[in-house]
Amino acid sequence: MLDSFEVLTTSGVVLWSRTYVPVGASAINALIQDIFIEERGTVGDAARPTYKRDGYTLKWRTAKDLGLIFVAVYQSLLSISWIDKLLDNVRALFTELYRDQLKVPRTTRVECPFDPYFDRQIKELEQEANNATTRSFTDSSAAEITPPGSEANELSAEEHPAVSGLRKAAKKPMYQDSTSTDVTPIATPDASRPNSPAHLLKAKAGPGGRVSRRSRKAAAVVTSSPAAASSGDESSANRRAAPKGGKKKMRKWDAEGLADEDDGVNLDYSAPAAEGERPVESLEGVDQGSWGTRTATGEFTLKDIGDEMDAILQSANAKDAKAADGSSGLVGSSLGAIGGLFRNVVGGKKLTREDLNKSLKGMEEHLLKKNVAREAAVRLCDSVEQDLIGMKTGSFTSVEATIRGAMERALRQILTPTSPLDLLREIQAVQGKRPYVISIVGVNGVGKSTNLSKICYFLLQNKYRVLIAAGDTFRSGAVEQLRVHTRNLRELTARQNAGEVDLYERGYGKDAATIARDAVTYAAQQGFDVVLIDTAGRRHNDQRLMSSLEKFAKMAQPDKILMVGEALVGSDAVQQARNFDAAFGAGRRLDGFIVSKCDTVGDMVGTLVSMVHATGIPVLFLGTGQHYSDLRTLRVESVVELLMRT
Amino acid sequence: MAWHSPDGWLTQGLAPHVSTITITFIITLALPIFVHWYLYRSRAATVTPKFLVLGPSGAGKTALITTLERGAPTATHTSLTPLTIAAPLPATHTPSSARYRSTNDAALRLVPILFTDTPGHGKLRHLALGLITPAPPTPPPTGLIFVVDAAALSSEADNAGLRDAAEYLHDVLLALQRAYERAKSSVAREIPLVVVAGKLDLFTALPAGVVRSLLEAEIGRVRETKARGIVGVGKGGDGLGGEEVVEEGALGGRAEGKFEFGVMEEWGIKVSVVGGNVRGEGPGVTGLWDWVAGQI
Repeated sequence: MLDSFEVLTTSGVVLWSRTYVPVGASAINALIQDIFIEERGTVGDAARPTYKRDGYTLKWRTAKDLGLIFVAVYQSLLSISWIDKLLDNVRALFTELYRDQLKVPRTTRVECPFDPYFDRQIKELEQEANNATTRSFTDSSAAEITPPGSEANELSAEEHPAVSGLRKAAKKPMYQDSTSTDVTPIATPDASRPNSPAHLLKAKAGPGGRVSRRSRKAAAVVTSSPAAASSGDESSANRRAAPKGGKKKMRKWDAEGLADEDDGVNLDYSAPAAEGERPVESLEGVDQGSWGTRTATGEFTLKDIGDEMDAILQSANAKDAKAADGSSGLVGSSLGAIGGLFRNVVGGKKLTREDLNKSLKGMEEHLLKKNVAREAAVRLCDSVEQDLIGMKTGSFTSVEATIRGAMERALRQILTPTSPLDLLREIQAVQGKRPYVISIVGVNGVGKSTNLSKICYFLLQNKYRVLIAAGDTFRSGAVEQLRVHTRNLRELTARQNAGEVDLYERGYGKDAATIARDAVTYAAQQGFDVVLIDTAGRRHNDQRLMSSLEKFAKMAQPDKILMVGEALVGSDAVQQARNFDAAFGAGRRLDGFIVSKCDTVGDMVGTLVSMVHATGIPVLFLGTGQHYSDLRTLRVESVVELLMRT
Repeated sequence: MAWHSPDGWLTQGLAPHVSTITITFIITLALPIFVHWYLYRSRAATVTPKFLVLGPSGAGKTALITTLERGAPTATHTSLTPLTIAAPLPATHTPSSARYRSTNDAALRLVPILFTDTPGHGKLRHLALGLITPAPPTPPPTGLIFVVDAAALSSEADNAGLRDAAEYLHDVLLALQRAYERAKSSVAREIPLVVVAGKLDLFTALPAGVVRSLLEAEIGRVRETKARGIVGVGKGGDGLGGEEVVEEGALGGRAEGKFEFGVMEEWGIKVSVVGGNVRGEGPGVTGLWDWVAGQI
């Protein structure tokens, strides 16, 4: 069953909400932060996005032009098939009903007596789902004839009381369908679930509990969808059996249905829709087409709202349809084209996918030229498209300019870290208690040791005592290289009266993880403030080499793991970043990137975007030259400007 | 021709001629219109006071402005976009510019004040920082309201909340300071900033005075590490390289020593701290309204 449904604005104000079970604000906040701000972790296709967190599943829709977000929250264990429909309908209704109010500037006040509409929607959709379930049961009974199993029989008797009346109505149309029996159960996939488990679980205490579990199982099997998490223990034999059970149930109800029906229906509907149960019940026996009138005899208000609601939904659908085939017709299209051209200059054009496509292609090309990996460029363009569809261009702005603006925003948002990292602050926080450990990883030859010594120089300037651990025990000359760096740095610091630096080395061929751990222990004993651990370069798609990183992370327990990536690398940047990010085992990720050789690429700084986009991990430093002092932090504005420069 | 001859212009002008009467009539009518037109043109349009609400994510900015608007907070979630609302000054407060007016003065009625809520998420702060110093045609905000969660600051462990708030406030103050330095002296004007120690209804919330000293100390530390940290990358030639064109000075002019909000007055930034809450028992938003009334 649905736990909570909220309508909120992009500015964070909840306009309308309905809570069945308190969920807390954190689930929706997490959704907004992860999906809308950081743009990661979407499950499902673009049209019906899903987000899972803390055992809840969240589905949402947005209305871009009005800045609205519609979110439905329910337990991940359940799978409610009509959620998508509900969201679509509520979006259509809400935007139509309150469009004028929502457009009033400078206020958050929206009078929205939306409750009756929502209740009505829920009820209708549940009913539809009910019908669908019955249909699928009936269908299976019509399709395959198998001998009834004994256990399933008695269960079925009390299982689904409301269904028995319905069956007659539903059966007839389904007979025509029964030629395609293998399709129909799938076509009504998890529709069977919401009605039976949810209602029964809530309503029936005693025997109902048993029944509902059974029915849920049966339903889950009927769906035959892998998403049915609750049916995980179901064997294939059970799978076969359950549909049969369903069919048999039907048969049983025919026989002794009436007695069950009366007490069953009451309980069945008490939980979700208390006021509407009588008319609904009477309805179910009748033909589906006569719903409206029947309901009207019972409750006038509901009837009114229903009619109004249907009208709104229909007009919304019609509008969609018109928009869809709006391009057809010679005169219409040419007029539209002229209008479009005009609007393109003057502004105020409502953007459609076609308008955007051409310009977005250009934008994608542009990004690729800036050395952004194709994957990242495509995803960026997609997100810009998602942002812009349905928006109106500002006055005297062309589509291109609008896309440019949106792309700039998207880039800025990606590159800006969620919480800026202040290395000095963090070191200060642990200073005196334990050494602060930074380790540096990366592909061969990207400049790990060089950047390590640059960071070391920076720390020495801040008068810290730094220990460099030579963790590269593989490449010949690696330790010697660090030794030279250490000597140089020591010389420099002695001259400037800055910090103090030492090298921890154990020669070649040893286990890097052990050396790292020993180095940290040594540093703790000797009172060093910071330990910088160098590691051997490794190819990111070499499983054997990458697997040793997990052990390394466990033993050395670095506070920060930084990955060095070249600005020169092209589309491989995405894969590098991803593989290194995943290499440290569960619960440990990279903490930041150092992008080296930035001075060699001119304005083609797309690698930064590729890496951040692939992982959502911020760029900490940029290497911009050969000197110890050529280390910079990222300034988002400069990078975005370079990227957008033509 | 002398002026006193019967055909002289002065004589004609005072004589009962039709043309004279017409011209006089036109001038009589037109003059007040011209005067009116001139006066209203030259006078600057009345600026609606505009306040910007800033603060880290989850501090209660959106709840605060909905409270200012409606008197009671709504349920809120993380904001994605800025939001401007108009709220009238409550009748219990008098704008400081109108403090000598009679309480029955019609001009006192319903001064609408604009409050702009901004998203506090780290990735979206550039929106807020852009609004602090908008492009020239838009006037800068009358004042800034920086909301912090007084209960989050008290968590001693690592002080993540305090650090976040202090870093944000540091950036805001620095942006204001630079705008003040850049502006021509005639344009530069004072911008008041109030730190609202919110959520005072919570048991763990710190009082406004403690919030002030905590923030001052933390901003001092932020300032110090910022000064010692690595400079941002600038543009050298056609790529990245070189150093960021560093604008003059750290926050408050120097990077060492104790930081106090008081030093910011040199840059026209008056910082005050008030406590408040939107839910539960507590002082409510009266303190904020007092401050707002003092600025308009």
